[in-house]
Amino acid sequence: MRIKEHPILSFSKGRKVQFTFDGKAYEGYEGEPIAAALHAAGVMVLGHSHDKQRPRGFYCAIGNCSSCLMVVNNEPNVRTCTEPLKEGMVVETQKGKGDLR
Amino acid sequence: MNKTASVVIIGGGISGASIAYNLAKKGVKDIIVVEKKFLTSGSTGRCGAGIRMQWGTEMNCRLSKFSTEFYETANEVLEYEGDIEFKQGGYLIVAATEKEDEQFKKNVALQNSLGIPTVYLTPKEAKKIIPHMDETKIISATFCQKDGHLNPFHTTQAFANAAERLGVKFMKYTEVTGIKVENGKVVGVQTDKGFISTPVVVNAAGGYSKQIGEMAGVDIPVYAERHQILVTEPVNQMQDPMYMGFALNVYIQQTPHGSFIMGRSGENEPRDLRITSSWDFTEKMAKDACTLLPMLKDLRVVRQWAGLYTMSPDRQPIYSKAGNVEGFYMSTGFSGHGFMLGPVTGVVMSEMILGEKPSLPIEKLGLDRFEKGELLFEPSVV
Repeated sequence: MRIKEHPILSFSKGRKVQFTFDGKAYEGYEGEPIAAALHAAGVMVLGHSHDKQRPRGFYCAIGNCSSCLMVVNNEPNVRTCTEPLKEGMVVETQKGKGDLR
Repeated sequence: MNKTASVVIIGGGISGASIAYNLAKKGVKDIIVVEKKFLTSGSTGRCGAGIRMQWGTEMNCRLSKFSTEFYETANEVLEYEGDIEFKQGGYLIVAATEKEDEQFKKNVALQNSLGIPTVYLTPKEAKKIIPHMDETKIISATFCQKDGHLNPFHTTQAFANAAERLGVKFMKYTEVTGIKVENGKVVGVQTDKGFISTPVVVNAAGGYSKQIGEMAGVDIPVYAERHQILVTEPVNQMQDPMYMGFALNVYIQQTPHGSFIMGRSGENEPRDLRITSSWDFTEKMAKDACTLLPMLKDLRVVRQWAGLYTMSPDRQPIYSKAGNVEGFYMSTGFSGHGFMLGPVTGVVMSEMILGEKPSLPIEKLGLDRFEKGELLFEPSVV
């Protein structure tokens, strides 16, 4: 399933772009939230809870809940549910609370 | 409903909770703590919650050493079911001026002579302790591993729970509206929930202690000054010690939760009990943090808040009884260091109220020092 219309965020379907997630190649549309591209590609687990390491997926979808925090281009704690996808982005699962690099 | 108490403590912060616990432990019955809102709702819950033994006077070294050693065992001593989160990651205090550097050398000698394990460091050595610092901004640093910080909410709750088990009553959401004095003696406290007859009142009201003093006709030369703090999103542990500079006017620490908490003293901060936040602080604080610890530039600020420093004329605490009103005691004027002195406050105030000999060197901290002109001097304050 791909999110095409969002009740809060507005984004138009851009051109097809390549990005990587945990080292593997993926495709999405420029400008759509990173998490939307991952979700459409079948990636449901975006992170893990801190205490019990339970899987966390797409949840609030408006940048509030911290469920989708990931490392993007080396930057930790990026809210992938609102961050627009760009060509060549390097997206990684975040370990713990993320490291400043 | 009217009540009777042997002691009424005004203020449900670290000071009030610690005094209540220590009095109850010494066997005093019928203690009531009156708190306007909830425990820690004033300065305690808003403070940076650091504790250091690195001071420039023997008295402050001795007092803070007592506090530190107490906090090391507080979970057990207070039989707390939670954790006060005492992280002894140390304080790295940096010198940015020649004058500071000179003072720090003297401080280290003093501290070492009192059994405080501080070391003097070159900028290069300091960078080994905080690798993400810009060491070119400093001349030298001092480091004491046993300094640290703790959770002010849990710490106050630990004292309060222990006090409650010993019979202390906490009246929360109860505001003191007056203090009744007859023939120069305290006879009771008026609150918005009724009158409490009592021969002893302890003013531990933090930023409001001047106003509480006025209710009893006791002039306390303190004022409440706004100080602000901001907190960032959490990241994995990367900084053990508190980074602090006096000339640089900054303190930056990473909590066990992973967030960074940082503060600075503002110029022309309001002194009217206001605890609003200002953009000026956000801007200057962020700029300082990113200059001194450049890696923090990628951290997002989550929120900021303000609290009150209760400033005394010499920036040193006031542990005292009132000269003109029998039964009126005060622990105030901490000037930003009330939380770290919490364990000391409880011990010395309970001893004072019970007429015991003080077990810690607080003789110079009486209210009468201001009239006599015997102000104290502490070189190591922000």
